[in-house]
Amino acid sequence: MNFIHSLQSEWLKTKRSAASWLCIIGGFFIPFIYLIAFLKNQSSINKYPDHIWETHFNELWHNMAIFLLPMGVILASSLITQMEFKNNTWKQLHASPQSYPTIFLSKYSVVFLITVKFFLFFNIGLILSGLIPCLIVDGALPKEMIPIMSFLKGNVKLFIACMPILAIQYLISLMFKNFLVPVGIGLVGLIGSMIGMSWDYIFLSPYSYCAMQVVPIKRDFNLHVYGLVCFAIISVISYILYIRKKEKG
Amino acid sequence: MNIIETNNLTHRFSEKEIVLNNIAIQVPEGSIYGFLGPNGAGKTTTLKLILGLLKKQQGTISVFGKPFNENRIEILKNIGSLIEAPSLYAHLTARENLLIWQKVYQCPKERINEVLQIVGLDNTGKKKAGKFSLGMKQRLSIAVALLHKPSLLILDEPTNGLDPSGIIEMRQLLIKINQEEKVTIVISSHLLMEIEKLVTHIGIINKGSILFQGTLDELHLKQSSYVVFDTNNSEETFELMNKHNLSPIKLNGQVSLATTDKAIISKINAELVNQNIEVYEISIAKNDLESIFIDLTKN
Repeated sequence: MNFIHSLQSEWLKTKRSAASWLCIIGGFFIPFIYLIAFLKNQSSINKYPDHIWETHFNELWHNMAIFLLPMGVILASSLITQMEFKNNTWKQLHASPQSYPTIFLSKYSVVFLITVKFFLFFNIGLILSGLIPCLIVDGALPKEMIPIMSFLKGNVKLFIACMPILAIQYLISLMFKNFLVPVGIGLVGLIGSMIGMSWDYIFLSPYSYCAMQVVPIKRDFNLHVYGLVCFAIISVISYILYIRKKEKG
Repeated sequence: MNIIETNNLTHRFSEKEIVLNNIAIQVPEGSIYGFLGPNGAGKTTTLKLILGLLKKQQGTISVFGKPFNENRIEILKNIGSLIEAPSLYAHLTARENLLIWQKVYQCPKERINEVLQIVGLDNTGKKKAGKFSLGMKQRLSIAVALLHKPSLLILDEPTNGLDPSGIIEMRQLLIKINQEEKVTIVISSHLLMEIEKLVTHIGIINKGSILFQGTLDELHLKQSSYVVFDTNNSEETFELMNKHNLSPIKLNGQVSLATTDKAIISKINAELVNQNIEVYEISIAKNDLESIFIDLTKN
C-alpha cells in the first residue's frame, strides 16, 4: 500500500507541471498538423487505396518517432525528476516516512505513466485527425474500421524503443542538479544518433531505437530485446547510484 | 526522556575537513531546543544527520529512544521538518502541496484545513505557492511539517528572511504548538534575540563542536560569573590578571574575568591603579544570550 500512496503523491506533483503540458502539446502536435493539412486540401484518409488507418498510423508515427518522441521523452523524464531539485524538495521527500526503493520506484513509475499519457494523447489525436476530415470532407465515416490490435502492437513496439532513453534520462536527472545536463546529454545523444544512423554500431546508442522503429534500415539485431536489456541494465545502475548517494537533500 | 540523543557524532566532508566533532546533544521531551551557532558552525549538518539526509559516518543517533538507521521509517512518521529554505512545489496551490504529503502520511484530509488555519493560509485559494511571499512560504512549510501531527518538529532557521512581524508571528506559532499540542521543537538559528525569547533549552555549536548545552537559566548563570574590566590598556590589564592565574579573556578591547569575588575585583582594581592604568569601568557582563554566545564562540 505504501507504494500506491507514494505513487499517488508523485502523480499529484505532475498537475499543471511543465511535463504535463508537454504531454498535451507534444501528443497533439503532429495529429493537429495532419488535421489542418487534410482540411486545407479537402482530403481525408479515405484517399488511401487500402489499409487506410495503418497508412495514417505509419505516416504520423514516422514524423513523430524520429525526433519528437525521443525529445518528448527526454524532456518529460528530465522535467519530472528535476522538479525536486527546482523546488528544493528532495530533502522533504527523503525526510518523509518512505523507503528509498519506494521513492525511487514511485518517481520512476510516474515518468512511465507520463510517457503512457503522451502515447495516449498522440493516439487520440491520430484517430481524431483521421476521423474528423472524413466526416467534414467526405460526409461519411472512414471506409475501414480502426485496427485496434495493430495500433496496440505498434504502440507497444515504440514504447519499448523509447524505454532505454527514459532510463538514461532518469539516471542523469537523479544525479545532476542542473536541468541543462540531462537535456543537453539527451539532445547530443539524439542528434548524434540521427547523424550516425547508418553506422554499423548504431545499436550501441539507445537514442537511435525510436527512429529505427520507423525508418526502414537493415539491421541484424532484435531492437526490442536490445531495448529491454538496455533498459534493465540502466535501471539497476540508476537504483544503485541513487541508494549510494551520500547526501539525500 | 530525551527525544533526540546523539553521541560522538563526527562528520567529515573530506579527510581534512571535519564538519562535526564528537557532537553529543540531548533534546528533552516537551522542550523547545534552540540550536545556536554562527553560519557554517555545523547546525544544518547535524540536523540533516538526525533526519537521515546525510549518511552517518561516525557516532550514534537515537530518536524517540530508538537507533535512527534501524528505525528510519517508524521514526520519520513522527517527525515534521523544515530544513533551510522552504520545500514547496511552486506550480501547486497551498492545498495541493499539502495534499501531496497527506497521501504520503495517510492522515485525514480534514487535517489540511486545520493546518492551513493554524498557519493562517486558509484563504489563499488558487494562488500558487511560487507566488507566495517568503513569509507565506515559510508558514506553508510549517503547515507541511505539522500535517501529520508529529511529536517532534525539526526546524532549521525557519525565520530566515522573515521581516520582524513575521518573526514574531512564527515565534507565537511555535510556542502555541509546543504548549497546546505538546510538540517537542528543535529550532536552529543564528538570530540570537529570536532564540532567547522562544527556547527552554539551548545547545551552542561552533566550528563543529558543542560549546554549551543546558537550560536557558543554566546559560545565564554561566555568564553572570563574568566581570568586565574596561581600561586604557587591555594588554597590561590582561597580563596583570594572568600573573594572578585568573584566566582572563580579551574581547573588544576589554578584559573579562570569570569571577564575581569582590575581594579579587578590588585587588585587581587597586593594582591597575597603582600601575597607572586608567580604569574606566568595572561591570558584570551583560546577562543576555548575545554576549554569552559571542564569548563562547570567540574563545
